[in-house]
Amino acid sequence: MDGRQIMTADEIRRAIIRISHELVEKQAGTEGLVLVGIQRRGVPLAHRIAVAVHEHEGVTLPVGALDITFYRDDLSLIAQQPVVKGTQLPVDLNGRTVVLVDDVLYTGRTIRAAMDALVDFGRPRAIRLAVLVDRGHRELPIRADHVGKNVPTSSDEVVAVTLVEIDGEDAVRIERVDAPARTA
Amino acid sequence: MNVSNAPTLPDVAWRQKHLLDVDVLSLAEIQLVMRTTDAMKEVLARPISKVPALRGTNVTILFYEASTRTRVSFEVAAKNLSADVVNIAASSSSVTKGESLVDTIRTVEALGADMIVMRHGTSGAPYLAAEVFAGSILNGGDGWHAHPSQALLDLYTMRAHLGDVRGKKVVILGDVLHSRVARSNVWSLTAAGADLWICGPTTILRGFDAWARRWAGGGAPGHAGFTVTSDVDAALRDADVVMALRLQRERMDAGLLPSLREYAARFGLTRERLAIAKPTALVMHPGPMNEGVEIAPDVAVLDRSVITEQVTNGVAVRMALLYLLAGGHPEAVTNA
Amino acid sequence: MPDLRVGETVQLLEISRAWLVDPVGEREGPGEIVVRDGILESVTWLQGDEAEGIGPGGVLVLPGFLDIHVHLREPGNEDAETVASGLAAAAHGGFTTVCAMPNTTPAADEPGVLARVAGAAAASGSPVELLAHGAVTVGRAGERLAALGELADAGAVGFSDDGSPVKSAVLLRNALLYAGMLGLPIVEHAEDATLTAGAEANEGLVATILGLKGWPAAAEVSAVERAIAILESVLADSPGARLHVTHLSTAGALDAVRRAKAAGLPVTCDVTPHHLGFTDEWVAGARRWAWEALDDAGAARDPWADGALVAHPYATACRVNPPLRGATDAAACLASLADGTADAVVTDHAPHTAVDKETEFGLAANGISGVEMAFGVLLAAVTAGRLPLARAVAALTVGPAAVLGARPGRRGAARGLVEGAPADLVVVDAGDRWRVTGDALLSRGKNTPLLGRELPGRILLTVAQGRVAYRDADA
Repeated sequence: MDGRQIMTADEIRRAIIRISHELVEKQAGTEGLVLVGIQRRGVPLAHRIAVAVHEHEGVTLPVGALDITFYRDDLSLIAQQPVVKGTQLPVDLNGRTVVLVDDVLYTGRTIRAAMDALVDFGRPRAIRLAVLVDRGHRELPIRADHVGKNVPTSSDEVVAVTLVEIDGEDAVRIERVDAPARTA
Repeated sequence: MNVSNAPTLPDVAWRQKHLLDVDVLSLAEIQLVMRTTDAMKEVLARPISKVPALRGTNVTILFYEASTRTRVSFEVAAKNLSADVVNIAASSSSVTKGESLVDTIRTVEALGADMIVMRHGTSGAPYLAAEVFAGSILNGGDGWHAHPSQALLDLYTMRAHLGDVRGKKVVILGDVLHSRVARSNVWSLTAAGADLWICGPTTILRGFDAWARRWAGGGAPGHAGFTVTSDVDAALRDADVVMALRLQRERMDAGLLPSLREYAARFGLTRERLAIAKPTALVMHPGPMNEGVEIAPDVAVLDRSVITEQVTNGVAVRMALLYLLAGGHPEAVTNA
Repeated sequence: MPDLRVGETVQLLEISRAWLVDPVGEREGPGEIVVRDGILESVTWLQGDEAEGIGPGGVLVLPGFLDIHVHLREPGNEDAETVASGLAAAAHGGFTTVCAMPNTTPAADEPGVLARVAGAAAASGSPVELLAHGAVTVGRAGERLAALGELADAGAVGFSDDGSPVKSAVLLRNALLYAGMLGLPIVEHAEDATLTAGAEANEGLVATILGLKGWPAAAEVSAVERAIAILESVLADSPGARLHVTHLSTAGALDAVRRAKAAGLPVTCDVTPHHLGFTDEWVAGARRWAWEALDDAGAARDPWADGALVAHPYATACRVNPPLRGATDAAACLASLADGTADAVVTDHAPHTAVDKETEFGLAANGISGVEMAFGVLLAAVTAGRLPLARAVAALTVGPAAVLGARPGRRGAARGLVEGAPADLVVVDAGDRWRVTGDALLSRGKNTPLLGRELPGRILLTVAQGRVAYRDADA
């Protein structure tokens, strides 16, 4: 893959450890926390954060996966229906603090869709957001509570996150493309 | 959660504008329907079993034949996707005043339909509708010809219990001549590699033997077998799935069968006959049932009867199909 | 080509270096013709160097065609076709004489209706000659014989209840006896209606897969055998009795006629271009010619397995009575032309309005609009090596003329390239092609599955009784 690399595997690892400390600190503990990874790459990231929390707190947080395909606001605009990956939530969300986990925060539309999906499952006490990369260009009033790295980008660039669990390696790269960038 | 234990093919994009029959679906597309149905089953298991995927889409259900279960199944499916549903039952519409099918489709389109789910008593009617309608047509059953959503929910149900139907012996028992469920199942089961058997009295097997012999040379890709026989014992022996079909009384010519009693005696699915199949064999029926004719009442309620599960799966499969069809706009902007 | 206008007598037409086919003289080859003041003045056969480079793939000069089975719909269904539009369409197809079937509204069961149809032909100004069959029974209802003698006196060339068979065996017998006395044939649409109630498509693999009610071959075969048996039984009392079974579509029916002819019975039959050229595959969406749908062993192929489906299934333009059959039956129709069992090709031209056809397959009217495409379909068979050109031409000319019992000089005459006779001919460019479109068709009936397809051979000029009946705009 070409494009310039902006995070190495080690940087990703340290960011995840820092995020895991931050979210425990914000919660003043681990009570009531649920990590929900947004399909697709948010899911392994959520699992890694849970492992990190276990290492320094000794507690295993529940981890779920959320597919927001049905909640996208652009379904009528795209050529074919995107393939659904599936949602699995291990616990009841009522009264819990849900930390959504995604790889890249961009326009904010994915997070908007994720929140719509979550409230169909119950009424969380709070919803927070942890992302590996925040690339700016918000189109909705959404902000992340925990950020691995802030990366200023232009709209003709794509931020490509690769993870060992899915792509075989850990890296974050920026690539320049001519097509419209994806909404994330 | 994932019932697709079969070797998965890579993700394929859904490109069909209409779903008129399963004969045009590749195995990869069928697998895509199965996977999407998994996701829909998860949605149905939620406390609020509704997603906004088809919000703003008008789904018009146009049924020219009386049917409660299929029509309601489609209605529930469309509403679970937050679509706007319009229900037209032919007997209450201007159809009875003699409006042609083409004019009815044009009227429905002018009223804002984006998708039409239609059931019609004449084979081929949805193909005519697809020629005049700008949106998508989902065939809810046409004459004797096809019932794609039923075949797909049948396949989904079988896979949920058997994992993969490849090489499994599936028997369709009953009035296949007049059955669109049978024809569509022939396409989907042979594509999925099942060992398909069709059984019934010779008068209502007419034509299927020639079909089976034509495909026996490998005409249909992937199939393990396609046998047509009136020997019930041979058909049921060691079967993994037995699907009983309704005797289509209202479609039958006078003189195809001596009597229903004789049919029940020679071909009805009773406990004794079912014992010839595997002890774990699934019992299926598309409904509604003529209990005591093609299926004995005590067989219909056995544990391994999945007849009610077919109904639940039917909603999920139809949600999956509506979802996939709603995306068929190749001229739209790609903004994924 | 000189300035020739439709309707006008041909002052002078010289065609040199063309391939001539004369089925009367049983001769074909390079030649030249000259037409002067409406008469075919000279027919010259070329030899040696002069004949160099002239073949049947170029310009053909043929005798004008005769179609003994068309439906002109007037009176009663002028939206589908009128006599005028039908004759114009016939001329476009190379036909200089057509014979109209009597299933109009009212049916042609008495001389007044025949006179009306003849009047419409005269009023149209078309040089195409119009012959007519009378109905066998009053109203074609199958209960009482129509006024056969009066119809014969008024010019009927035969009798038919076409659209339907003659409903009862006893009536068919009486009709054969009576018409035999008049020296005219009974043209029977052979169908056992009890076997075809509700039938939609040929009983076979395609009907099974498409969920259409089957139309068994036995319905035609048994009806033909019945009719032949009845004919045989009346010959002693009516030696002039003649039976013509029309639009045969099955090998079994053609075999029955073959056996009857071998036994010396006065039976004739015809086949249509759609029964020899198309198959029931077309209902599933195939558009390959019938001879392309056969494998090397002579068995029908599977269009699904072959990927041969190129059009929408259930096209109502494919719905016809008798139905399009399987490839082996179509091959039998073609073979029957080659061996003479089939005396003629007819089009059974059956124009329908869009309203009657743009509906569900099971509800659509039966019939294919075919008079303009007939020669193109036959030429496709000729080009594919399935039929000699001479046989194709004979089946459109001397064959049907013999069925009517015509003699030279009478109406429905000789059908050859006869020097000194009024010019009655067709000029075709066999090397060109034409696309069948709604605009290109002169018939009001656009109900043909060939719409949008190309056919070999372009008809350049049709001359009927010395006058121009059709002329290609670009010729």
